[in-house]
Amino acid sequence: MGENNLTAIYFCKLSNGYTDVVDNIEVEEYAKKIPNVRITWQAADLSLTNPDFIVKSVKENNLSRIIIAGDEAGMYKSFFAKALVKAGGKPENVLLASFKEYGALKKSDTDRAKAIVACAVYGVAFEEAAKPDVADVNPNTLVIGGGIAGIQASLEIAGGNQKVFLVEKTGTIGGHMAMFDKTFPTLDCAACILTPKMVDVGQHPNIDLMTYCEVQSVEGVPGDYKIKILKKAKFVDSSTCIGCGTCSEKCPVKVPSEFDSEISLRKAIYIPFPQAVPNKYILDAENCRYIQENGKCGVCQKVCPVPDCIDYTMKDEVVEINVGNIIVSTGFKTFDAKKADQFGYGKFPNVLTSLELERLINAAGPTEGNIVYRTQDKKGNWIFQDGSEVPNKVAVIHCVGSRDENHNKYCSKVCCMYSLKLAHLVKEKLPNADVSEFYIDMRAFGKGYEEFYERIDNEGINIIRGRTATVEQSGKQLRLRSEDIEGARIIEENYDMVVLAVGLEANKDSLDLAKMLGITADHDGWLNEANYIGDPVNTYTGGISIAGVCQGPKDIPDTVAQASAAASRVLQSILNGKINNSIKDLSLDNIVSRAKELSTIMEEKV
Amino acid sequence: MSQRVNLDLKQDLIQFGVEDWNECFHCGNCTATCPLTNDGSLFPRKAIRQAQMGLKDSLSANVDPWLCYYCGDCTESCPRDANPGELMMSLRRYLTSVYDWTGLSKLFYTKHWFEIIAVFVLAIVVGLLFSVFNPNQIVYELNAQGGVQINKMFPIHYVHLGDIIMAIIVAFLLISNIFNMWYKTILKLKVKVPFIAYITSIFSLIFHFGTQAKFSKCDTKGKRYWGSHFLLMTGYTIMFILVVAFLPNFQTEKIHEWYHPQRILGYYATFGLLFGLIVMFIGRFRKSSEKFKFSHLSDWLFIIMLFLTTLTGILVHFFRIGGMVDATYWSYVIHLAILVPMICIEVPFSKWSHLAYRPFAIYFDALKKAALAKQYKSKLATAA
Repeated sequence: MGENNLTAIYFCKLSNGYTDVVDNIEVEEYAKKIPNVRITWQAADLSLTNPDFIVKSVKENNLSRIIIAGDEAGMYKSFFAKALVKAGGKPENVLLASFKEYGALKKSDTDRAKAIVACAVYGVAFEEAAKPDVADVNPNTLVIGGGIAGIQASLEIAGGNQKVFLVEKTGTIGGHMAMFDKTFPTLDCAACILTPKMVDVGQHPNIDLMTYCEVQSVEGVPGDYKIKILKKAKFVDSSTCIGCGTCSEKCPVKVPSEFDSEISLRKAIYIPFPQAVPNKYILDAENCRYIQENGKCGVCQKVCPVPDCIDYTMKDEVVEINVGNIIVSTGFKTFDAKKADQFGYGKFPNVLTSLELERLINAAGPTEGNIVYRTQDKKGNWIFQDGSEVPNKVAVIHCVGSRDENHNKYCSKVCCMYSLKLAHLVKEKLPNADVSEFYIDMRAFGKGYEEFYERIDNEGINIIRGRTATVEQSGKQLRLRSEDIEGARIIEENYDMVVLAVGLEANKDSLDLAKMLGITADHDGWLNEANYIGDPVNTYTGGISIAGVCQGPKDIPDTVAQASAAASRVLQSILNGKINNSIKDLSLDNIVSRAKELSTIMEEKV
Repeated sequence: MSQRVNLDLKQDLIQFGVEDWNECFHCGNCTATCPLTNDGSLFPRKAIRQAQMGLKDSLSANVDPWLCYYCGDCTESCPRDANPGELMMSLRRYLTSVYDWTGLSKLFYTKHWFEIIAVFVLAIVVGLLFSVFNPNQIVYELNAQGGVQINKMFPIHYVHLGDIIMAIIVAFLLISNIFNMWYKTILKLKVKVPFIAYITSIFSLIFHFGTQAKFSKCDTKGKRYWGSHFLLMTGYTIMFILVVAFLPNFQTEKIHEWYHPQRILGYYATFGLLFGLIVMFIGRFRKSSEKFKFSHLSDWLFIIMLFLTTLTGILVHFFRIGGMVDATYWSYVIHLAILVPMICIEVPFSKWSHLAYRPFAIYFDALKKAALAKQYKSKLATAA
């Protein structure tokens, strides 16, 4: 080679508040053994204040390249580039080996981090070196999770004339989006966008919709997975149920409705909501008096107009299917607001979560969209009942559980926008109400979002910069204390209703599923993608793609886009008849020897 | 007022204890969670802002850190783990050095060895003065009540004279520092304080000095700091007045009956001191609450020296009553060898000074607010 390729490697600090991180020392030991690597620095031993030390090291050791390895490698690029130029080198010879980009986040990913550093030393892109073999592919696809991501992905693949199995845990598809009243920033009705898609899924000949089902086990190899699916007993024969609702009407048991975020009551035999797909009733065995109390009730069976439709002896079933590709779109759960106890959620009845307000405000909600106080019914349940008193002062508190070292450190991305939307909807329904928003930073990040924020700001809603510290009951009202940073004052006022903009969290279910599928999750529980920037839908396991919020917080447009992207990956492999094997199965030696090969080929070309 | 951004402020402040406050993203949680904040006093966030931006002049003029009693609520609920409570504590150290025109305070706070050496040197000088250079002999003859004749060994009028000289020097330093504080927070900024406010606000100065009513508001969420601190403060103040102003009446040859005011006050002060100090020792050792998690050398030194002074004081008292001559003599020497450096270093230059700065901060804060109210009124008048 014409010029020497002597290299120094700088290892960035990784902890970032986490303890389970890549073992930098081990990677350093490994890197020292790679030819051409002369010096390695750990961030802890090298303060990046004086470039002269770097200049001296470069000159003394006759270095021509510096590699920065770590999570935020790019942060230090300009510093090293300046030093290298000062020492007479070329700025383009500062290379990045980004652990985060290729999903090397935890201690167990240390081998991958070694491979990333080795590829950088050989001057080869990691994804070029880490290229697995291909295998034949079964054209059937499994989509796990029937929210908007799963619906979109299923429709895309089924539209390409391929068979899709859509597995959904609850009794209906639709997910969180079905619970929303409006979508930001256009204030379109969420149901108007979603329900036609849901109906499409229900009617599509290529989609085998499996609601009230869970993935029990996954076996096999990329392109040929054997999936066992647990079909939970619905106790209602879906093929004969006509959806008349008589059973539900007569059922004597009332329990909190999951679909209404538990602000209203449903019966033990129910459909989640009137537009549910499939529009068939389900009997909730845990609350059914007949099943729990040994045949003491049985009303639903008596009133059902279809003979043998309701069958209390129905058992769970296990079905087996074979698929080539799997799309994981398991979504999220909202932050448990009880954990942020300074806001009194669960203690004070009129402290709501945003999802609860979303249901309350919805025309199909328990009060037909009337915003009222939460009151106690005759049996003592705290629910919203039409005709109760109407609140006059409503506060929305942002960042509940998000951007908080005590809970989740990350920004949940959607809360600012949905809070603005909710404020608008409250103001629309109660024009005389005093609506206030308390925020830390206003993150209006998308197309038309900033304009949406400005519009809401001009609607007479008090948008106050300051994180609320405490909410306390004060008579019938709630006393809220916050700093108004821009107004340089303390706000200590009474509100009738306080809404907590709860953040998004990874599902525990999706973590269990990830384990089953052999894919990994980051420190916050979001599923890992193959490449943070360049390949946000594939994973390191062949044939498994991820879409929607299970990969990280995102809004509906982004979710839909990612679902379509995942579907295109699947269709690509089906059309080719071939599928990439798992990158995670490639050994370190595998990747490194391939990188060596590629680098010699490149040199020969030069 | 325009001012320059001081790029070295961060490094300066780091020397006073806190590690880094750049974690703060200004959500305002700390200010809102604090039970003492109001529209005119938005701490700790405002002070964090000034520290982050390098506004040295604004920070020097800010009395807010003295209005904080460190209950730790802000640190507990801070979403960024920026530790605003400890920043306020460090700013109190910093402000002490800002008010101190001699520059010794900064040395004591930032150079730990300097403070320790100063304490030892003063202790040795005082110890030698009262032992080796004491012209009087140890008197073994007991008085009529069987007590040690301490005033024959250490002539009370000389001790009292030295006492008063020390008090004058220390008071001069402390009062000049308070004037400096007044200059920095009011005069330099040309705050137009209505003269009447200087008189009317004196009541709040005395009230808050005597009761620490604001501190009692910090006893939220099961915290109980006010009681033990009040005992300590009153015990200390009573003992201080007895020793400095009334030494001839306090250190009498005659041993009074136990119900004599001299002894009752002395016992109350001793109990208050011991109780308060033990609570603080336990807290700082266990690091059980945010308030006690971080202990600067000055925090330790203050309570250790106060504790040793109290302990040796108690020993002197009982040795004297018990007629143990040698023990009385030497415990008295040790007592003074700890007491004098404590007063000379802690009172004007270190942690003790908060006893003066806190009530004066409340006073100056009231003056500033009075000035603002007047300004607002005149604006309203011109607008009308």
